[in-house]
Amino acid sequence: MSGVVETNGVSKWYGEVLGLNAFTASFGRGITGLVGPNGAGKSTLFKLLIGQLRADQGSLRMLDEDPWNNVPLKRRLGYCPEHNQLYGWLSGQQFVETLLRLDGMPARQATLAAVEALKLVGLSKAAHRPTRTYSRGMRQRAKLAQALAHKPEILILDEPLSGADPLARVQILRTISDFARDGGHALMSTHVLYEIERITNNIVLIHNGKAIASGDIHAIRALIDEHPHAVRLTTPRPRDLAQVLAGMDHIVAFEFPAPDALLVRTRKPDAFYKELPEVVVDGGPEVTGLESPDDSLDAVFRYLVG
Amino acid sequence: MIGLELLRVLRQATTVTGLTLRYLLGTRRVIPTALLGAVPFILTLALAAGNVENFDIVLFQILLVPLFLQVVLIFVTLVSATTLIREEIEDNTLPYLLTRPISKPAIVSYKYLGYLAAVLILLIPPLVLAYVVTDLYAGDSFTADLDVLGAFIIATILGSAAYGALFLFLSVVVRKPLAAGLLFGFVWESIVGSIPGDVRLLSIIHYLKSILKDLIAVGPVTFYESTVSAEIAFAVLIGMAVAMVVLSMVRLHGMEFRQKA
Repeated sequence: MSGVVETNGVSKWYGEVLGLNAFTASFGRGITGLVGPNGAGKSTLFKLLIGQLRADQGSLRMLDEDPWNNVPLKRRLGYCPEHNQLYGWLSGQQFVETLLRLDGMPARQATLAAVEALKLVGLSKAAHRPTRTYSRGMRQRAKLAQALAHKPEILILDEPLSGADPLARVQILRTISDFARDGGHALMSTHVLYEIERITNNIVLIHNGKAIASGDIHAIRALIDEHPHAVRLTTPRPRDLAQVLAGMDHIVAFEFPAPDALLVRTRKPDAFYKELPEVVVDGGPEVTGLESPDDSLDAVFRYLVG
Repeated sequence: MIGLELLRVLRQATTVTGLTLRYLLGTRRVIPTALLGAVPFILTLALAAGNVENFDIVLFQILLVPLFLQVVLIFVTLVSATTLIREEIEDNTLPYLLTRPISKPAIVSYKYLGYLAAVLILLIPPLVLAYVVTDLYAGDSFTADLDVLGAFIIATILGSAAYGALFLFLSVVVRKPLAAGLLFGFVWESIVGSIPGDVRLLSIIHYLKSILKDLIAVGPVTFYESTVSAEIAFAVLIGMAVAMVVLSMVRLHGMEFRQKA
């Protein structure tokens, strides 16, 4: 087995729509980022990997096994879905514990493992609150906790940072890094290249259902730096936040798309993502959400695919 | 090794069944179903409070067949069984179960067991209480009409099993199982179930009424025309429930889940 995940000419149709188009790629050990704009086929690939969809063409192997209806393989897998739905009537502790019991874990062991997993993602204090009261960032961390709690060999993370606040992002990225450092493999999708860059150099670029490039992230960094990167911040005081951020010399423009939103365009996204949590923690206006519209990445993909 | 595997299966079964029970009985959705399930009890209380003349076990039978078996039972089983899988699909929570080492058919069967336990908790106690109120009001001993109570309890259990399995199957084959279930439960069952002759054999209610007719000694239900014995009705309803659950398992086993939030 050369890669942890191997796909060869995998296609998936949704009726007339092609979700994946002869997708061929090899995902190695450690962390690999699957980077592509919305609608590129990232979630389709992940759903094929977790056995939720069946490939119409081609072959797909994860940990050297076919994932479709493969029950034993699921012991080795942790999955964090893109959507934020949880069993809202369960607390975070009950949510993780219940799913651990499905792994066949005894009650006491499941309780301890759930406590440990929630601590790992920084949710200990909210562990006994119903998950319907969780913010988006807390939901992301609860999903990550259930994916990690049974100590899988591989994590499939579908946009795990989507909608998370800056502090939650730091926590989530740290948790994934620690998992990989301890010998685990992780596939993480994102449409924001700079998120994945903090934890790995290995990426696969996906566009229109095809793998268009793979390998070292630095090789395409230069391309991306030519296109200002957009970040949309949700805050009750967008103008105050813009004033605080104006000191960053890499920011080229501010826009105010909504009364509670600030759109920042920066030429150095990595520096921006690094400096933002410090600004927030140092008494700057509260930032409740952070999203990166994929227009900057789209420009790079248009360049790559000609 | 086999013992460990059995233990694992048992843990999975109790977890999925418990999750289902908790969802059906521990969330706000229980309020309307519990109120509906309590209708027999509420009705008998109202009759007793209103000092209705001739309120006895005969009136109990006359009221409970159309009201309980043909409305309450169908509605409670419909809204409970159609949520088992379909709501998890619509809510995007099913992937949490499907990415655990448990097969799709096992999820279906454990959920069905949870459903059965939940609806029986909702339906049986009010039925027993309604019986107690009736006999108290009529001045009869609680043991005087146990055949009536027993027959209604058996019909409730078998009806819950059969209707629930059918509605579960509908929920994995159509996107709007509630509408399809309403059509079956209230149109098909009332029309087909009331046509004299063999056509009634195609309705669940016919078998439930046949059980009542066979097991109750005295009362209006004993005049129901049926050539089906309680044993045959029991076998048909159980057979149908098992077949529908198995078909739901087969259907879910081959199902793909593609929707996004």
